[in-house]
Amino acid sequence: MTTSDQLGDQAQGTQRKSGIYVYGIVPADARVAEDARGVGDPPGKVEVIREGHVGALVSEVQLDRALGTPDDLQAHEQVLDSTASTAPVLPMRFGAVLTDADSVASEVLRDHHDEFAQALSELKGRAEYIVKGRYNENAILGEVLSENEQAQALRDDIRSKPEDASRDSQMALGEIISNAIETKRQADTQTVVSALEGVASHVNVRPPTHEYDATHIAVLAEIDRQSDVEQALNQLRENWGDRMQLRLLGPLAAYDFVVADAPGG
Amino acid sequence: MTTAIQPAGGGAGGGGSSSGLADVIDTILDKGLVIDAYARLSLVGIEIVSIDARVVVASVDTYLRFAQAVNRLQISETEPKGLPDLTGQAVRGAAKSKTQSALDAAGQKVSDFISQAQPEQQKATRVQSSREDK
Repeated sequence: MTTSDQLGDQAQGTQRKSGIYVYGIVPADARVAEDARGVGDPPGKVEVIREGHVGALVSEVQLDRALGTPDDLQAHEQVLDSTASTAPVLPMRFGAVLTDADSVASEVLRDHHDEFAQALSELKGRAEYIVKGRYNENAILGEVLSENEQAQALRDDIRSKPEDASRDSQMALGEIISNAIETKRQADTQTVVSALEGVASHVNVRPPTHEYDATHIAVLAEIDRQSDVEQALNQLRENWGDRMQLRLLGPLAAYDFVVADAPGG
Repeated sequence: MTTAIQPAGGGAGGGGSSSGLADVIDTILDKGLVIDAYARLSLVGIEIVSIDARVVVASVDTYLRFAQAVNRLQISETEPKGLPDLTGQAVRGAAKSKTQSALDAAGQKVSDFISQAQPEQQKATRVQSSREDK
């Protein structure tokens, strides 16, 4: 069931009203999850364009509307992730649209066939997992205060004065806490990385996206060893108690681990 | 050109909540292969809705919020419930208006953050600029 002909016919001839949205690159034998719904409104039907040993996850998209609604973003990730547990996926960045299916087959798949095949074989059996830790506010503030006498003194000073008179102390206390959390974040991130060392072949430490973020890490791991990842995190949860909430996302497409290296473009 | 499997470096910011959408934004924004690197002739420039991501920037606003959180911690631990809670709310409200400009100043477009975090990834300019447009 090659889809390139059908999609090509739809997009040809007239003023361009639609394009082909490219989600990512997969092995030619990868299948689209049955419940996959593409970007756009109504959601495009997700199909695979195949060329040799590789294929592209695509759907038709109307060009008269900007992309990037929450539904679009979630569709992009869901199409990729629903495939990631059964086949390796090289994700494209959100918003990749080409004119028609033939261009996807020739310009993307045929012209870069061997490098895609090589990258996919390296990814085989592995997927990305994301570990997110978020400090419990009361627990982490209590911890910082108990470890820092200066912070305790500032807290007492703030409590003894009207709010306007304690502004300097508030700033000083806030800065101490901010720095202390940053230090803890780095230490705790290192602890998580060390705990996953045996199961993760690659690690990407992401920047925090919230001031109480404790850790934000993407790892590439064997899907068969997901239970080892879970076990390592359970051990950390036990050690840390209610200090933070630790979540695991995955298996996901390897968003953090694909790099196109194009010297000179 | 090669497509390598290796850590791609920093990520984009996302919403502060733990909702599904925040996770999605954290994960897909500024990540993945850039289509421009593989296809030029048949590229279709499509408008992309502006996606603002929250970026953690230590600021006056952050410091005051931490200090207020410590204050709330104390109140809830040592005082009876009721009136102190109300006081706490009032304090927060007043401080919030005072630091409003700092809050605005701390806001950043995701594209600013991307260029800061990944200066080497010039490939992203097409998507970045379309985000800035809106």
